[in-house]
Amino acid sequence: MRYRHSLTVLSSVAGLAAIACPPVHATDYLNLGQAQALMFPEATAFRARDLSLNVAQMQQVEQLAGLPARSVAWRVVGAYDGDRLLGYVVQDDVVGKFELISYAVAINPDATVRQVEILTYRESHGAEIRLPAWRRQFAGKSAAGGKLMVGNGIANISGATLSCTHLTDGVRRIAAVAQVGLAK
Amino acid sequence: MTRRAQPWLGTLVEITSDGDQRATDLAFAAVALVHRLMSFHDPGSEISRFNLAPVGARLPVHPATWRVLQLAEQVQAATDGVFNVACAPQLVAWGCLPAPAGTVGPAPRFAPTAATQQTQPSFACQAPDMVDKLADAWLDVGGIAKGYAVDAAVAALQQAGAQHGCVNAGGDLRVFGARAWPVALRDPRAPQRLHSTVMLRDAALATSASYFSERTWHGQPVSALVDGRDGAPLVHARSVSVRAPLCAVADALTKLVAASGKPQHPALTLWQASAFII
Repeated sequence: MRYRHSLTVLSSVAGLAAIACPPVHATDYLNLGQAQALMFPEATAFRARDLSLNVAQMQQVEQLAGLPARSVAWRVVGAYDGDRLLGYVVQDDVVGKFELISYAVAINPDATVRQVEILTYRESHGAEIRLPAWRRQFAGKSAAGGKLMVGNGIANISGATLSCTHLTDGVRRIAAVAQVGLAK
Repeated sequence: MTRRAQPWLGTLVEITSDGDQRATDLAFAAVALVHRLMSFHDPGSEISRFNLAPVGARLPVHPATWRVLQLAEQVQAATDGVFNVACAPQLVAWGCLPAPAGTVGPAPRFAPTAATQQTQPSFACQAPDMVDKLADAWLDVGGIAKGYAVDAAVAALQQAGAQHGCVNAGGDLRVFGARAWPVALRDPRAPQRLHSTVMLRDAALATSASYFSERTWHGQPVSALVDGRDGAPLVHARSVSVRAPLCAVADALTKLVAASGKPQHPALTLWQASAFII
């Protein structure tokens, strides 16, 4: 009962936050399909594949990356030219102090990182960044065709450098996941 | 418009232009080159090679590294050492930077130039593409290389045929082309909010402030912003923005204005720059 009650409170707070505090900066760069095509232009097919790490693999990832492995299951797509494997695209999200970044990492068959592309970037005004409901409202949002009109939502922001440690950690973790779970 | 973002130089680099994806790829490649050559963290970078080299070494460097160090030398001289790329030992001590990989023994002593009443350069650029290491020092070109990377990306976009665009390396940005671009400034007292918007045409705008890098060290507030004369941390509830034709110049000169508190500092005119504080 108590659990149910706190859930209700959470979702109403998130709803309020979404109305009262729209993101100060929100950009859709690419959807996953566009990122895949950019990072593997020679691919003729992309096929999703399940990647679930076992306990031993999770420990290997932690050793390689020097970071908690975080997830058992990873969103992986294989890029193929006919039947020949060209590499993989791994999709992930990271949450910083007040930013939410969705990104895709292209991995070569030998598990080295080929390219990183940001899919979406969101900033919040504060604590609501931690609420799953706030983050869910952006799930699946993406740029239509990667085309954006100037003066229509394109905000360039100048300010002190925002460090992207969470993102570089995320890329390092994915490189380790690839080495443990995908490398040939 | 093509608009993409990738993580480089410890921040997000965003490239918007009317060029095609190939132009954007070339621009990101230019940024990636600056990252590889000038990273303080990467033991394979030319900056790391300098930091690990013995005093007296003459090091061949890539033309891009040479141009960044030459500009750093010029800005350091024109600002009487307020801008100083040799502050890394101070930032390492504060935990704002990790110690360079491969270093053994104590950090070089950060010698405040004010104490000796003269600028003591830690390096000298020798043409062509050579750098002399004059003193035991760790260089961190983070306060100028982001701006240089923006300039390099703009050049790559233009070479690839883009007519207008904007390159933004985590807040240091440059726009090119005939159109004016709106640029929003973060509120230094509430950085998740926007303070105001300026219009920028064919120019660069860089902003420095301590709000994202502030931390406490031995009970004192410190940040990644340092007065190059005495190593004093610049911790203010304000931000400094510099507009200049080149982003490398704008990036470097923000430190001068932040330390001096003078948006009209005479050194700004040497590079056709102007500044404001919010």
